[in-house]
This record gives sequence, structure tokens and C-alpha cells, in this order.
Amino acid sequence: MSSTRWPSPSRLLPGINAAASRRLRLWARRRQGKDGPVTRLQPRRIYILPTGVGLVFAMMTFAMLLGSMNYNNNLSFVLTFILIGVGFVAMHQCQRNLVGLEVSFAGTEPVFAGQSAQFRIAVANRSKNPRHRIRLYLDDVQSDIKDLEPGESRIFVLPVRTERRGRITLERFGIRTLFPFELFRSWAWLHMYPQGIVYPHPADHAPPPPATQTALGHRQHDARGEEDFAGLRKFHTGDSPRNVAWKAYARNDQLLSKQFAGADMSSQWFDFDTVVADDLEQRLSILTRWIIDADRTREDYGLRVPGQSFPPAHGEAHRRQCLEALALFGLEDADG
Amino acid sequence: MARARGTDGSLLASLPWTLLALGFAILPHVPYLPVWITGALLACAIWRYSIEVRRKPVPPTLLRASLALTCFLGVLYTYSTISGVGPGSALLAIMAALKLLETRQRRDQFVLLFIAIFLVMSSLLREQHLWSLPYLVLGVVLIMAAWLKTAADDAEPLRRSLGTSSRLVMYAAPLALAMWIFFPRIATPFWAVPIDTGTAVSGLSDTISPGDISALSKSDAVAFRVKFEDTVPDPKDRYWRGLVLHRFDGRTWSGISEPRISSGALKNTETAGRPVHYEVTLEPTRQHWVFALDIPYHWDLESTFLGPQHQLARVHPIDQRIAYKAASYTDYRIDRELHPFRRNWYLEFPESRNPRTTELARSLRRAAGTDEAYIRSVLRRFHDEEYFYTLEPPALGSDPVDRFLFDTRRGFCEHYASAFAVMMRAAGVPARIVLGYQGGELNTMGNYMIVRQSDAHAWTEVWLPESGWVRIDPTAAVAPERIDAGRTGAMFDGAAAAWGLAAPSRLLHNLVLAWDAANAKWNAWILGYGPENQERFMSWLGMEDPDWRQMLLTLVALVTGITMLISLALMLRYRPPSRDRAAVLYERFVRKSGLKPATGETPRLFAQRVERDSALSADSVHSITDTYLDVRYGPPDPALLTSLESQIAAL
Repeated sequence: MSSTRWPSPSRLLPGINAAASRRLRLWARRRQGKDGPVTRLQPRRIYILPTGVGLVFAMMTFAMLLGSMNYNNNLSFVLTFILIGVGFVAMHQCQRNLVGLEVSFAGTEPVFAGQSAQFRIAVANRSKNPRHRIRLYLDDVQSDIKDLEPGESRIFVLPVRTERRGRITLERFGIRTLFPFELFRSWAWLHMYPQGIVYPHPADHAPPPPATQTALGHRQHDARGEEDFAGLRKFHTGDSPRNVAWKAYARNDQLLSKQFAGADMSSQWFDFDTVVADDLEQRLSILTRWIIDADRTREDYGLRVPGQSFPPAHGEAHRRQCLEALALFGLEDADG
Repeated sequence: MARARGTDGSLLASLPWTLLALGFAILPHVPYLPVWITGALLACAIWRYSIEVRRKPVPPTLLRASLALTCFLGVLYTYSTISGVGPGSALLAIMAALKLLETRQRRDQFVLLFIAIFLVMSSLLREQHLWSLPYLVLGVVLIMAAWLKTAADDAEPLRRSLGTSSRLVMYAAPLALAMWIFFPRIATPFWAVPIDTGTAVSGLSDTISPGDISALSKSDAVAFRVKFEDTVPDPKDRYWRGLVLHRFDGRTWSGISEPRISSGALKNTETAGRPVHYEVTLEPTRQHWVFALDIPYHWDLESTFLGPQHQLARVHPIDQRIAYKAASYTDYRIDRELHPFRRNWYLEFPESRNPRTTELARSLRRAAGTDEAYIRSVLRRFHDEEYFYTLEPPALGSDPVDRFLFDTRRGFCEHYASAFAVMMRAAGVPARIVLGYQGGELNTMGNYMIVRQSDAHAWTEVWLPESGWVRIDPTAAVAPERIDAGRTGAMFDGAAAAWGLAAPSRLLHNLVLAWDAANAKWNAWILGYGPENQERFMSWLGMEDPDWRQMLLTLVALVTGITMLISLALMLRYRPPSRDRAAVLYERFVRKSGLKPATGETPRLFAQRVERDSALSADSVHSITDTYLDVRYGPPDPALLTSLESQIAAL
């Protein structure tokens, strides 16, 4: 939205500009070092350059200066100098609009490979003046533009495209503003290395999962169906809210989960070794698809991958654990 | 090309303000622009706005192109040129109107705002009044506010845009002032541009034809202002010499068309008495004539010369307000010798025209005996017989002098000067007509004299042996009060009476004088801040004879300094809010305890831990914690704060 099609140096010389901006970025990285989890923007790391509109504005004021000199017209000198002054002030205002902002990483939601990872970055304005029209960006990915009132902190979302499973690291991102007149663009690079998880891409055409095994052989203490009430136990994260004993909670303020002992307990094991597929990634994709489907039907399922085993269960936490294991399988040391 | 012409109402928030800024910029042009241009701009503005409201597509390219061509030809037809301020601002207005019709994005609005800035600038080239400064400042604030509205994606409240824009302009003001003062002014333009401002500059005409239907200028526009250094000449001596007319064809008097440049005129001048020193600020006339009191002998205006007829003229016309110092003698003798060739110039007149006048002149001359007596008898005739001074005389026929002298007997200075000169020539006395101004009103508010267009006057000079050219003002014989008091004083009484304000006319007049005094100061100091004034100001600052390098250096240093101050002001504006005093005190307590509150640990829980793990007394720890919580979250109470401070200090 902010990009205007004015003759700006970046548009006139795309190749040179790309190379120059990469060198500048690397130089800035060396100069600034790695940023902490909460980084306050100091003036010395904020860069500023005129925009295309700014260059046109500069040319216009120069033409006006020549005109004023030629006509020896003192009032048009006044007009010209006010505009030049406004340009100067706008430059400082533009840079000040970023100085002192506090940037911190506010987490990501895991995504499947091919989706955009939503990096959430919090920007806090700890000053007495509002900040206007702030935006985060990474190359050509841009967040929304937001204003920050004094004391306000807002979350900016950077959607970053993912291709492969595993951990995704945002090596750098920028924060920038064109306020007030779009004559200047000031920006800062941040190297906070926030990370997110990318699950394997769910296979589009997966073979059906292995048949459900009845509970005889693999009866686990927590692999339970929902048939017969068997008692209460302390609530664990990941337990379905359906199973929470709300009445008991109302009575004594303790979250308890109902336990069931079912005769028809079905628990599925998804075993890495039994999946028939061409390669590792395909296998992981098929496993991912099975987990998603099982989760959707609220069945219990267990996952076994070489070196790790997750007994049958269901719920958000279990799903996350399993998918994370698949995402990081073979990429990092043992525990990830 | 005509693809994607749709609008989606996204400009609704900013478009009205862009239109408002444009309207404000065009305002001073309206009186000078042809009505159809203002109308076209207004129509396009309404059209475009309704398109945005109804989310309709903008007009197709072909329509816009044909409109553009039509308007361009219209401008060409109206002005028959496209250079100069008049056609230039007309073209800008047309550009704005047509750009409006294709505006669909924010960058188009930026273009509109650029045009608005150029419109403001061209209005300043046309006229520079006292109110032009507030106008341009307000214009910049409005344009920049519209700019902010355009740049903002969401609907930013206008109050905020206006506030931001006026704050930024305010910050820019000291920068602009420093640049304005120190930016080196140059005397001569880079390239000659005709300042065709489209305004009629009222000045003296080069010829006079008493008898044509003509009314004398009643304009109270200022011709020039004069500041006298010591003595102010009497009203009857205030003859501001302009140009000399010596050719007469029976109806029209004319002079030399281009001023003859020669500096020999002073040789034929003898003077007596003390000279009068003064400074004239002359409004632009686009003519060559430079006005001075009687016979000037000194002036500090370059490429300006005194012609053989003692008229002061500059080589290039006066198209801007100029100021010059001059000194004149009111007691003088010029051209005691008149070359026979020149003498013939001043005796020629068409014998076949105005026969009655010629006859009367010759008989009077015979009766008088000497030239001096003859002059006296003609003046006496004007004075004693029924001749009337009027600003609206009847038209005269083919022999205008005859008709005037014998039939209508009504006229103003031109009629009397012309008739007198013809009578002199008919009787063999060399005579010529001088055009200039007579009189002037002293403005006590600014201690200077205002000479207005309505003070324009024509008088005659006759050449007498031994005396040279002698000034004779026949109008004085008819209407002595015209010469003694001038017309200005009477004018305001008349105006006031017409408004039914007989009594406060003095007050009104004084207000007008005060306004004129302010204008004179404005002209002298702001508009007239050229190389000379700048040098004067620099030496007042202690920079003797600075060259442009020095001035630019000073400018850069000043701009840097002021920018640093602005940066500081912005830093203060963006400082973090001052911390709560209670929190600062509590932090001191935490430091003394030697422990660190864990994340999420409330002050009370922390107090329990401090009581357990530190050497501080349990009572004071709890007391401090209670006081802190009261101060922090209770109603404001300075006493509690003091108590908290002393308790913590006592630890």
C-alpha cells in the first residue's frame, strides 16, 4: 500500500540496489550484533533515506529556489524555505518515530509446510508521544500498518512462507515508517532469531492408517475410551474440556478430569517403520495426515518414531507433541 | 489505457482535504483568472468527488484527453501566450482540474498537492501584500495537513493532521527564517523573465490628448513613497518630475519614446540653495521613468541617467518595486542656452489647427510687450475668467484647444497645461509639458510621504532667455487649492460622506494611513530585502562586507544548530513518561532487602519472603509494603508518600 510508483533509486537500478542493500544489511548485522529478546531501538541503528516522493519534493523545492532567486521574490523565498524546513523536520520526525520503540518476539503458531508461519512481534511505545504508521517487514513481506498510542503495545504479524518442515528461524526483520509525509523512509534491522515450528506437509493422498488394534495387547493406563466412568483424576493440560468434571470444579475449585474405562477402547498406533513410502519426507507426510485425521475424529492415537514413542492419547497437547516430533525428526539432536 | 478506471471510495477520507487545499491555493488567482477556468476547476472538483461517493469509474482517457486539449487551446486563446504568471497560473489550474479527473491513487493526490504548492508560489509572484505571508503559511499548513491525510491509510482525524502539520511548520519556521536572512541575494536575475503579472499597473501614460474622453485617475493606489532626510518641501514645491512632452499634433502631446541616455544634462544646470535629500520607494510601473523632486543632481540607482530634458530614466523598465536615494535642488536654472535646433522643437505646432487660440495668443502677446508680461496675462485670463477645474470634463471636438478655451472652459491639469503651452508656442515662446506627480501626503505614522496615482499632474515649462526653463503651472491659476492641498485630503472626506460617516472620517483616514505605514515597512524590510538591505543587515550583525561564501557558511552553521535544537525538542517530546515516585521508592526498598521479586510475585508475597530470608525487621517490612500499596493504588496522598520515603530511609 505504501509503495508509490515514483522514480526511486531502487526502481531505477534494481540490480545494483539489491546488491547494495544486501551489503548494507550484512554490515548492519556485524555492527549491531545479535539482539536480545527485548530490544529497544537506539538512534544509532536507525537508518533513513529519502523516498521517491521525497526526491520529487526535493527537486520541486530546488526549482522553487531557482525561481525565487530569478524573480528576487522574497515571499516565494519564504515559501521555499518553509518547505525546505518542513523537509528537514520531517526527516528528524521520521527517525524519531522509531527511536525508543521496544521490540520483542511474541511467539508463532506452528504451521504445516507450505503455509505461512505467522511470526508475532510485539512493539511497545514507552514514550509520551504516539507513534504513527509503523510497519514490520521482511524483504517483500509486510505486516499491517499500525499506530501506537503512548504506553501501548501491539502485535505485528509477519507471515513468512515456509517450504520445509523443521524449525524456521527469522534471521532478521525490519521495522519501518514513512511518517509524516512519505518523504523519508526510516527503518531498523533486528536480528532476534525468533523461531517457529513447521510441521511436515500433510500428504494429500495417504494410504488408510493401519487397522485399529483392540486394547488387548497394548493396554495403557491412560489409553481410555469414553464408555464407562471410572473415576476422577487431576486435570492435565491436553485433557478434553468435555471430560472436565465441571460440577466438581464448582464444588471445590479443583479441575478434575473424568476417567473412563471402556470395553471398546480403540487405540491406534502410527508406526514410522510400518508406513509404506518412497522416502523419509513422504513417510512423515503420511504420518502427519493420519494424526490430523485421527485428531479430527477425536480418536486416541499413539506415535512411534525411531527413538521416540508417544502412547495413545488425544487432545491438543498430544497432537502438538506428535507433530513436533515429526517436524524435527532427524533434524536435531535427540530431544529437539 | 482506459482499463481499471474504477474507484472504491478509498479516497473519501483524504480527497475533500486535498480539494480544500487546492481551493485555498487557487483563491488569490480567482480575480485574475478567466471565469471559465475557475468554473472548470470547481466543476471537476464536484464531479470527481461525486464519482468517489458513488464509486463510479473516472472518465475515460479519450474524454480526458479532449478536455485537456480544449482547455489548453482555451488558455492559448485567452492569453495568446503560455509564458508569464497569468497564463502560467491558468495552466496550473487547468492541470489541477484535469489531474483530478484521473486521480485514483494516493500518488495522484500528491501530484495535486504539488500543483497546489506551485499555485501558492505563482500567486506570490503576482502580488506580495502584507497578508500574503499569513496566507502562504496557512496554505502550507493546509497542504501539509491534506498531505498527511493522504499518506495515512486509515481515516486519521483531521484535528490530528492539522495539529501535526502546524507543529511541523512551526518547527520549520526558525529554519526558514535563518535561511531567508542568510541566503545570499543576487542583484541580477539569471535569465530575463518578463514579469507579466496580468495586473494593470497604473502609471503615467506616455502621451496626453486633452479632449479625448478621459477621466483623470482617481485611483488612490500608491505611486511611490518618499522619506525625507531633513527638510520636507512645501506643498507648492512638491513637483515630482517624470517625463517631458514636446511634440504636438494639434490634439496629442507626445515625447521621445525611449529615454535618451546622456549624462550631459547636469552640465546645463545651475543650482542655488540647499539640496533636498530623500529616499523614494517606487512601485513598479513597467516604464523607464524614475521620479525625482524637480531637478535631481544625485541618485544611487544604477543604469539610470538624466536625459537632455532633465527627465530621469532607467535603461530597463521598472518592473519591480525599487528604492533609491536622491538629492534635488528646488532652486535651479536649466538650459540657459537653447540650441536653435532644439528651440524649434519647442515652438512647433500645426498652424492649421486651433485657429482661434492662435489668434488670441498673438493679440495678447502684442498687448503684453514682453514674454513675462504675456505669461502673466494668460495666467490672469485663466484665473479671472470663467474657467473651472473638474475631473470629468466634456469631450472636445477636432480643435480641442479652441473648444476648451472658448466653449467648454472645463478641464483638469492636462487641459490647462496643453492650452497654455499652445498659447505660448503660438506667441513664439518655447514651451513644453512635463508629466509627473504633484503633491503628496505626509504620513505622520511612518514619517514619510505618500504620493498616489491621483496626484498625477501635468504642468508646463517655458523657456525664457537668461532664465532658461521656468516652470509655470496653469492649473494653479485656476484651482490653487489643487496645488496647495493636493487632492488626497479631500478624497477621504468625500468617501466617508458617501458612507454616511462624516464625523469619523479623520479616524478612517488615520486607519488608512496606519495601514499604509505598515505596508511601507513591509515593503522596505521584507519585500525589499535584496542585496543592499542584506549587506546592511549583515554589517549590523557585525559581518562587514561578507561574500556569499561567508553567508552560506553562516547559513549552514545556523541550520545545523537549529536542526539540533529541533532534534532535542523531538527527543523531549518522545521521552518516556516520568516514573511513579512510589515505584522508585519501592525499588530502593527492594535493593536494600538484597532479594529480587520473582516474576508475578506480589508485594505481599515478596514481603513474606523478605521477612523470612533477610535481616530486615518484620514490622518495618510489612509497614513499608502496606504504605506502598496504599500510595500506589489508593487515592493520592502526599503525606503517605513522605512516610514511605522516611520509612525506607530508616531501614
